[in-house]
Amino acid sequence: MPPRHRDKHETARSAAPAEGRQNPWAVIYFRASDGAVPSLAFLNECPSTLDAQFTAVLDAVAAAPPPQFSGGGKWEAMHGSMSGFYEIRLSGPRREQFRLFCLLENGSTEELASRGLPGPAIAVITGMRKPWRTAFSDRDYQYVRSLAREHRCNYPRSIATL
Amino acid sequence: MDPKVLDVGLHERRRARRMQDQEYREAYEQASRELAQTDALIRELDSLRVDLGISKAELARRVNRNASSVRRLFTADQPRPELPLIVALADALGAELRVVPRTPEAQSTTGGGSDRRRVPANT
Repeated sequence: MPPRHRDKHETARSAAPAEGRQNPWAVIYFRASDGAVPSLAFLNECPSTLDAQFTAVLDAVAAAPPPQFSGGGKWEAMHGSMSGFYEIRLSGPRREQFRLFCLLENGSTEELASRGLPGPAIAVITGMRKPWRTAFSDRDYQYVRSLAREHRCNYPRSIATL
Repeated sequence: MDPKVLDVGLHERRRARRMQDQEYREAYEQASRELAQTDALIRELDSLRVDLGISKAELARRVNRNASSVRRLFTADQPRPELPLIVALADALGAELRVVPRTPEAQSTTGGGSDRRRVPANT
């Protein structure tokens, strides 16, 4: 894991990766057994500006994963039945709420290799949206967990490549 | 490429493709700046806390908050940092927040040219 603290004299900078620079962590998108990629289907249906914001958060985390990155106000560790997940939380038009559910893929080189990963990665599982001041149901969260279970059972991981 | 190693480059390719769209690019760059500013502010406070040898629990006590609220702020457990808490922590650490206009050079690189102000920790 990267060092806990940045140099205190380091100034804030854009999380956008420089041209050609690889982030320490990769971002991968879970692909289901039927070939569907729920997270990309979700992102493709989001307003363009929200898709951009989700990507910016993913890049910021990939550049400096927790605990080095504070979350910047958008990336949150989940708890309870969703413990182990991280969510990116954004608000859209008319305060509609958009959430992207992710897992962190980390471990020894051998473990990551068994998953087919060249290094640590953020696995984007799926996304959901809901009107303002409403909550996702237990069934919604069960769906997310079921996708994550499928993802974790795959050795190597099944991810989108196109 | 090792056939056993997955192609994990889709994210970069997708981003590069989507960045061709100006609206997308502007939203991405604005979000990146905001994330970096928020993260830098929190990190600066935490770094100052460490330099002063103050535990998170002690810092929380000084601002009359639960230790967990301060701990969450410095980790990914706190998705929405509260400005009053940020200000209180800065004060307890002998610092203050100031709004500093971007330099003309920074304005030109961000593409907005707006008068949006940023809030760095001023120690």
